[in-house]
Amino acid sequence: MTTVEAARTRAPLGRLAAAEVRWVLRRPRTLVLLALLASVPVAVGVGIALTGGPGGGDGDGPGLVAAVAGNGLVLPIAALGLALTLLLPLTVATAAADALAGEAQHGTLRGLLLAPVGRGRLVVMKAVGVVAVTVLAVLVVAVAGVITGLVVVGGPDGTLITLSGTALGLWEAMGRVALVAAWTIVQLLAVGAVALAISAFTEHPLVVLAAVLGGLIVFGVLAAVPSLEWLQPLLLTSGWGAGTDALRDPLPLDDLASSTARALVYLVVGVALTVWRMRHRDG
Amino acid sequence: MTAAASTTEPATTSPADALAARVRGLRKTFGATVAVDDVDLDVPAGAVLGMLGPNGSGKTTLIRMLLGLTRPTAGTVELLGCTGADLPAALPDVGALVEGPGFHPFLSGRDNLLRCAAAEPRLDGDLRRPVDAVLERVGLADAARRRYRGYSLGMKQRLGLAAALLVPRRLVVLDEPTNGLDPAGTRDVRRVVAELREAGVTVLLSSHLLAEVEAVCTHVAVLQTGTLLVAGDLRALLDADAGGVVVSTPDVDDAILALRAAGAPAYRAEGGVAVPPGPLEAPGIVAALVGAGVAVWEVHRRRAHLEELFTRLTEEDA
Repeated sequence: MTTVEAARTRAPLGRLAAAEVRWVLRRPRTLVLLALLASVPVAVGVGIALTGGPGGGDGDGPGLVAAVAGNGLVLPIAALGLALTLLLPLTVATAAADALAGEAQHGTLRGLLLAPVGRGRLVVMKAVGVVAVTVLAVLVVAVAGVITGLVVVGGPDGTLITLSGTALGLWEAMGRVALVAAWTIVQLLAVGAVALAISAFTEHPLVVLAAVLGGLIVFGVLAAVPSLEWLQPLLLTSGWGAGTDALRDPLPLDDLASSTARALVYLVVGVALTVWRMRHRDG
Repeated sequence: MTAAASTTEPATTSPADALAARVRGLRKTFGATVAVDDVDLDVPAGAVLGMLGPNGSGKTTLIRMLLGLTRPTAGTVELLGCTGADLPAALPDVGALVEGPGFHPFLSGRDNLLRCAAAEPRLDGDLRRPVDAVLERVGLADAARRRYRGYSLGMKQRLGLAAALLVPRRLVVLDEPTNGLDPAGTRDVRRVVAELREAGVTVLLSSHLLAEVEAVCTHVAVLQTGTLLVAGDLRALLDADAGGVVVSTPDVDDAILALRAAGAPAYRAEGGVAVPPGPLEAPGIVAALVGAGVAVWEVHRRRAHLEELFTRLTEEDA
């Protein structure tokens, strides 16, 4: 027989968060996306190792990927940059779409509200799940990138040659990778918060995916129109090139800081909208 | 496995405590559509209340408002003594199966229930024990580790029932619990409801199966187009609706002629001739029939059935 605590009207938050993380990590779609993410640095690394460089030519190749040749520790940073354009936002948006819209579609959101998981706690619990997927997704790319970089591509004695031409030791190079990973996580959490807010307004997970990925594409288009240059500071994606700065020496922090600040604004707006909506949503 | 809450309840019961749920002036509109219109309903503690009504009569909307899933347009809801913003405080003691079972297809029935158990405030420690016990109780132990995706409609319904019974409750709300169940499943639901009633748990169940409600319910509420037509003790309602006698006879036509001649509006009915309450009581009816030379096998008082009551109520107002 279980202990019945008559006084308690809420399940412990830790148990809810653990159940949520277990649930999200057991989803086949999460596992498929994580496997795809791991394959990004592996594919780039193997491709470069086999051909000796992107396209074989030197000079004008795709800057970051070109820099990977013979310089393995650039690989995780390049792979994070590549994955940030579509695959990482897709992973985070999928988790956020399932978190509220997907639960509503399956009728399981009702169960949580009736338990009752308080509406505020429900947002915390769902945010924990999205954060878990985000962190794990970025770590998968970074770790697969470091391993592939060191093992398959190799480098000048475990050092990293920066875009500025200087050499960084192994630990300093790892520090740069960690910095880009942390910066990428913050950018993705901004995407996740907005996706969660959209998820709170619908019971169709596909609407969330379409809105988030469509939104990112529209941002990209807007950024490409010269007469709309004044919009640039408002667009989340316009700071997404800043990850490359980690490969310069000395480290320029301006763009990393401004893009992080922008992401935090998106994050706060997304979370506030989610909380407001979930307070009023019918179960 | 009786309701643990009964030990924590105060010894003195005020009139408000005798009601498990109470709604007053409850109304819900969706745009121009009125889903529930000014409903007053009491659910006495310990009762098994069957909520009847045609599809779209507002049963589910009423239940959703009772559980705080939908905000009423107007009116008040009181659930186990909690009301207004305090309503969720009653929910740990309420088990509910509303609008069909909701579970994740990629998890097994057991893993789905473990996830529900994690959200239950009243559970503590090892969650597997109550989960396995309730799976046994609803007859799903053998299928517990299969994925929900492959469950039949009846198994899904049983799992929904299991989630509602995961914790000892004071009130259990079952919205169409026998949907998709075979006769054995229907019997199981009936058994579970009987067990709950014996344990002193209040049950609110909605159904379109009148025989089902008549078999298990002590109280009944009939809804139509959002309005409550009648509510109260089932036996009292049926007794009030009963009356007249039924005569078993092989000479139906002669019997009808004889009774009409005696001033009683008789008509052909199943098993013979029915005589509604009127100028003639049973002895007068028998005398008239015997006097006319009609053979009488049996005379008995007509018992009302829920089906007749329901048909009369819903068609009168249609």
